[in-house]
Amino acid sequence: MKLNARSIALCAVLTALALGLSTLENLFPVTLIVPLPGVKLGLANIVTVFALYELGAVPALTILTARCLLGGLFAGNLSALLFSLLGGFTAMLVMIALKHCKGLSIYGVSIGGAAAHNLGQMAAACITLGNTMVLGYLPFLLAVSLVTGTLTGFVAGLLFRAMRNIRLSH
Amino acid sequence: MTSNSSQPSLRPKPLDALVAAVVIALAVVTALLFYLPKTGSGDQLTLVITVGGQEQSRTPVTQLPDGPVRIEGRGGYTLTLSPSYSDLPFSPEWSVRVSDSDCPGQDCVHTGAISRAGQSIVCLPAQVVISLVGAASDVDAVLG
Amino acid sequence: MKRLTCLLLACLTALALTACGAEKPQEISLFAMDTYMTLAAYGDSADDALTAASREINRLEATLSRTIDTSDVSRLNAGETVVVQPETRALLERALTLSGETGGTFDMTVAPLVALWGITSDAPRVPSQEEIDALLPLVGSEHVHMDDAVTLDTGCAVDLGGIAKGYASQQVADILRAHGVTSAVVSLGGNVYVCGSKPDGTPWNVGIQDPAGSGYAAMVSLTDRFAVTSGGYQRYFEAEDGTVYRHILDPRTGRPADSDLLSVTIISDDGTAADAYSTALYVMGEQEAVSFWRAHGGFELILITADGRLLYTPGLSDAITKPEDCAYDFQLLTAQPAA
Repeated sequence: MKLNARSIALCAVLTALALGLSTLENLFPVTLIVPLPGVKLGLANIVTVFALYELGAVPALTILTARCLLGGLFAGNLSALLFSLLGGFTAMLVMIALKHCKGLSIYGVSIGGAAAHNLGQMAAACITLGNTMVLGYLPFLLAVSLVTGTLTGFVAGLLFRAMRNIRLSH
Repeated sequence: MTSNSSQPSLRPKPLDALVAAVVIALAVVTALLFYLPKTGSGDQLTLVITVGGQEQSRTPVTQLPDGPVRIEGRGGYTLTLSPSYSDLPFSPEWSVRVSDSDCPGQDCVHTGAISRAGQSIVCLPAQVVISLVGAASDVDAVLG
Repeated sequence: MKRLTCLLLACLTALALTACGAEKPQEISLFAMDTYMTLAAYGDSADDALTAASREINRLEATLSRTIDTSDVSRLNAGETVVVQPETRALLERALTLSGETGGTFDMTVAPLVALWGITSDAPRVPSQEEIDALLPLVGSEHVHMDDAVTLDTGCAVDLGGIAKGYASQQVADILRAHGVTSAVVSLGGNVYVCGSKPDGTPWNVGIQDPAGSGYAAMVSLTDRFAVTSGGYQRYFEAEDGTVYRHILDPRTGRPADSDLLSVTIISDDGTAADAYSTALYVMGEQEAVSFWRAHGGFELILITADGRLLYTPGLSDAITKPEDCAYDFQLLTAQPAA
């Protein structure tokens, strides 16, 4: 990706979009339906997946980091930073790997990313709490990630379809 | 610089099912690891009976028989351990106590019922220790 | 690229899972001093520390025992004039001081009456008032003569059982610290000592048995403290007519203490004193116990009264928790009586 004004602006827009989605999903009390701590719709991952395909790994990582840092600041909750960073980076690594698999569609990549996100958050929880009690939630979070991953993949797919005729980054 | 944008396949492909299967498998494995009763790392409340310093049995309370259990202690003393289920308010659902013993002091009988991890009933003459253990104990030591 | 990412992923997962390993303690349990003891310590030196601690407990039991003929205490009780070991002397002197402090509600010379009631034996019995009156004069610090050698008046006997476990917990604490252990929890038959905090840095959670039920009356968060609970509910026997006789005697009357308290918990930095105070304050009853605390201080106190109240001292305000299903009425004790 060329480092010109256009691409920087694009990244900024995507970051803002991710932040917006993140704020939006915090309005939904998902924990009422699925009573697990840390369960989220993962809407911001839509942007992550999109950026990964459209712009490449490095820009996507940058957007992710910026989104996590700013998101923590805006929420006034920097302690959750470890959770979102670990979750986000683990998801990113998995998605970068899965992206290379020609046999996978955007759905496979998103599901893999969602599951990895939960694994990363679990690790953060264990480190923070110093014990393994929270691991009990992992099976359920992983099951939920199938749904959220599919959802993310679907929406990102819609985005790609809509953007088919627009060249974003050259 | 060549663009590294690539169009992902927007329709689900067969291999996606493999990814989903891996995630499910991972969920099942972590569920088994965490929820199956295992000595030492289980989350369940477990009854441990020790006689003369040797551990005689270690059973999750959910696998205990419904009726009384006889414990042969040292010195020829025999204790009877009885579980009980209570639905009185303010009392735990399940508890266990020594309902009978032929030891002289009867301290074990007088101890009454125990229901939480960390609690124990001790019969000194018989050298019997009946204790409840579990990873999710809310106390590390019991006074009194 | 793909392989590298997969490798990275594997490492990350492995790392995450190892970070989740909980540290397991070294544990030792033994029967000693007429009770069941458990010790658990964390860290590399835990093994050595615990071995040393259990050796010390066994040594103390032999030294202070009333049943081993060759111990200083047995010889004293047999009427001999004994040049006691420095440690025994120190303990005897401490016991005398504690007796004075507590107005005789703790008294090691109550031993003949303990034997009369058969409390620690296999056959407890109810003695007659005459038998009690005959032995009551033998109780009292004035019967212990601490010169270069120690002598007891005829017929008198001492029993250090009331501070033995407390003293042992103090010794165990020193041994653990000398071995560099920073996290341990020790229960010597209900005399609890917590060393440092738990491995994850949080304070130890100590539960206080509900005298009238099977759960906990209260929970306290402690670090580096001794805690002892005494209560009539712990040991007692039922006579043929159904009367319950509790095992804690009032040295002033020679009979089981007629206390309006169900249990007394002392939390302090002094294990020996905690042991003695817990028995003494139980014998004293609520009013005298509270006055004692107000006059003395230097320790934290939890009293559970027969009429359903749980009184605690201000130092415990942040550390004490009332369990969900607890029916006691928690009340804060004040340093000065309410005007």
